[in-house]
Amino acid sequence: MEPVAASGFLTAGFDNAATELDDFDSVVRLHWPVVFRFALASVRDRDAAQTLTQDCFVHAWKARAGFRGSSSVKTWIMRIAVNLVRDHARNRRLRFWRRTTREALDISVAGGRLHDGTVSAEQRVLIGEKVREVWAASGSLPERQRTVFLLRFVEDMDLLDIAAATGLREGTVKIHLFRALQSVRERLGATK
Amino acid sequence: MTRHLSAAEISEWMVGTRSRQSEDHFHECAECRGELSRLQDTLSDFRASVREWTHEQSAAAPFPVWRVRRGYGLPRLRWALIAAATVLLAVIPVYRANRHQPKLDSSLDDAVLLEQIDEGVSRSVPAPMEPLATLVSEDSPAAGNRTQQKK
Repeated sequence: MEPVAASGFLTAGFDNAATELDDFDSVVRLHWPVVFRFALASVRDRDAAQTLTQDCFVHAWKARAGFRGSSSVKTWIMRIAVNLVRDHARNRRLRFWRRTTREALDISVAGGRLHDGTVSAEQRVLIGEKVREVWAASGSLPERQRTVFLLRFVEDMDLLDIAAATGLREGTVKIHLFRALQSVRERLGATK
Repeated sequence: MTRHLSAAEISEWMVGTRSRQSEDHFHECAECRGELSRLQDTLSDFRASVREWTHEQSAAAPFPVWRVRRGYGLPRLRWALIAAATVLLAVIPVYRANRHQPKLDSSLDDAVLLEQIDEGVSRSVPAPMEPLATLVSEDSPAAGNRTQQKK
C-alpha cells in the first residue's frame, strides 16, 4: 500500500527524490563510478562490468517513475546493480560449456597508505600481499557473501543500506558479513 | 575477562555485534586492540586499492555516450516498427505461396477442355440416361432377330 502523504513535511522526501531523478544525466555522472566499481569488483571482467553498469542505468531510467524515495537514489541504483550482478553470475554458471579465454582481472595494489611516503618498502610489500589475499578471498566467497562484503568494505555502506540494496533483512546481512569476514580472516591467517 | 577475543568475536566486532564482555576486554587488552586495528587497516588498504584499481579500469574503458533519450524515449516509433514488422510477417507467407504456385499451360488447358466437349457432344443420350439406353437396346426386337440369326 502506498503511504498517504498528509502534509508537505511528509512529501518532502518524495519531492527531493523526484527532483534528483529529473536530472538523470547528473544521476548517471554521480553514480556511474560507484556502480562500475561494484560490478567490476564482483564480476572481475571489465567488458561485463561496463555492460552491467549501462544496463543498470537503463533499468533505472525505465523504472524512475516508480521510485518513491523510500531509500536514497544511490541505494535504489545499487539495488538494481546487485540484482543485475546476481543474474549475471547465475547466467555464467549456466553457461558452463562456454569457456572464456580471458582470465579474470587481478587487482593492482595501490592507493591509501601506499601513496604515503612514511610507509617503508618492506611494509609496502606486506600490505600488497594482504590486499591480494583479501581480493582472492573475496573472489572465492559465495555470491551473496561477496556482495555484502564489497558493499560494506569497498562501498562503505552501512548495514541498513546494504539490507535495502540486497533486499535482505539486517540480521541476514550481518550473518553473511560475519561468514565473509571469517573466510577472509582465515585466508589472511594462512599467509602469516 | 582474561582470555583474548576469539576469531568469531573479532568478526562479530567488525560486523557491529558486540557483547558487553567483548567491549570490556577490548578496552583492557592492547593485544586484541592491535589485532582489530590490523584487520581494519588491511580492509582499509583493500578499499583504497579496489577504488584506485577500478578507477584505472574505468579510464581504460571510457564513459559511454548516454543514449537513453535517443534509444528509449520513442515509444510511438517503437510501436510503429513493431506493427510494420507484424504486417510484413503476415504478408510474406501469402506472397510466397502465390509466387510458388505452378503455372498451368494454357494450351494444355484448351486441349483438355475440347476433349471434354467432344465427349459430351458425341454421346447419343445424356450421361444419366446411359444405363436405360443400354437396357432398351438389349430388349428391342432387332436385337432378338440378331440372336436368332446367329443360331
